[in-house]
Amino acid sequence: MKSLLLLNGSPRGERSNSMKMLARVAEGWERGGGSRPETFHLARKADFDRAVAAFAGTDVVLLGMPLYTDSMPGLVKTYIEALVPRVAVAREGGVNPTLGFLVQSGFPEALHSRPLERYLEKLARRLGSTYAGTIVRGGGESLQMMPDEANKKLWARLRVLGEQLARAGRFGEEELKTIAGTERFSALTAALLSLAAKLPVVQFYWNMKLKKNGAWERRFAAPYGPAFRL
Amino acid sequence: MRITILNGEPGVASAFEDYLSEVARRLAASRNAVTTLNLRDIDLKGCSGCFGCWVKTPGECVKRDDSAQICRAAIGADLLLLASPITMGFTTALLKRAADQMIGLLHPDFMIEGGEVHHRARYSHYPKFGLLLGAGSDSDAEDIEITTAMWTRMARNMKSSMVFTAVSDRSAKEVANEIALVA
Repeated sequence: MKSLLLLNGSPRGERSNSMKMLARVAEGWERGGGSRPETFHLARKADFDRAVAAFAGTDVVLLGMPLYTDSMPGLVKTYIEALVPRVAVAREGGVNPTLGFLVQSGFPEALHSRPLERYLEKLARRLGSTYAGTIVRGGGESLQMMPDEANKKLWARLRVLGEQLARAGRFGEEELKTIAGTERFSALTAALLSLAAKLPVVQFYWNMKLKKNGAWERRFAAPYGPAFRL
Repeated sequence: MRITILNGEPGVASAFEDYLSEVARRLAASRNAVTTLNLRDIDLKGCSGCFGCWVKTPGECVKRDDSAQICRAAIGADLLLLASPITMGFTTALLKRAADQMIGLLHPDFMIEGGEVHHRARYSHYPKFGLLLGAGSDSDAEDIEITTAMWTRMARNMKSSMVFTAVSDRSAKEVANEIALVA
């Protein structure tokens, strides 16, 4: 049975959207014949150190993360920098584990995550690892808004990807494409969304939180310079 | 021109540090107001994805650290120069941690811009972005290209654009001249 190291790179830790998604991939991995994964949350100091130590001793690593300001969170880059010695190992003919990734973002389109995907593919090459692919999925923050039962289709697709990873050693191209959803909106859809964005109901999630926190009146605060006015 | 340099070099004694100092000296000598923030000396707690800067204390990080210093210097600049050696194919974690805490410079509301979903502006002015990268023996042209692509996306989300990428294999004089021209 192959071993899997599940790394949650979300600064939110255990209760993150990234972890919700990783957990479903892990279920599929086990269903596909992989051994029970070892999970580490990089946001926990003790886990971080153990995750660095465990990297070399596993067959497959699945590193999941949210998109933060259009690339990996600083926390994940810190982890990647801790893998510098593994580059030298690979150059000297040593073996590093197969690498797969999961990138989820708050934006609905996949295009925002594509430059990071390119980086992760190159990272696998840098480490001399087999690249299993990157699961890209937008609309991640909506997982906080909806009950788990409302995301059954998404969980099922993630399980299929986990199964593929266990059985074939990589994610299936078609399944990756399906789960990524909309790459870029058509001009018509973008125009309709532009109109819809003006409706308060579309911004409901943030407005609700602002009101709950008593911060609604200060929502346009601009503490470091002249404020934007519509 | 007001230039804010975010220096993501973790070490004090390095070839890149010397190079960046020389670029900054030349920019200041040509009558630019240059502010260099050495991120290694700044107390940053790191973004934990709480969105407090959007929904609790709009525009400000809820953590008691010096991230306000970075946000103020970024918004007050005409050019934000992101400076860092390339390590494992990208700018340093130090620089990325600082960028993560800049999300409060935007408003959480979504809008469509250039056919893409982006966040609404919080400020009337955002700086242009520039990248100054230290290339080492373990980086190549593809790393520079990918790094530029990721930071260009951030510039776009920050209502701005990436106006140049320069690599430290060119002379400090040449790079400082180019910055003065494009900014």
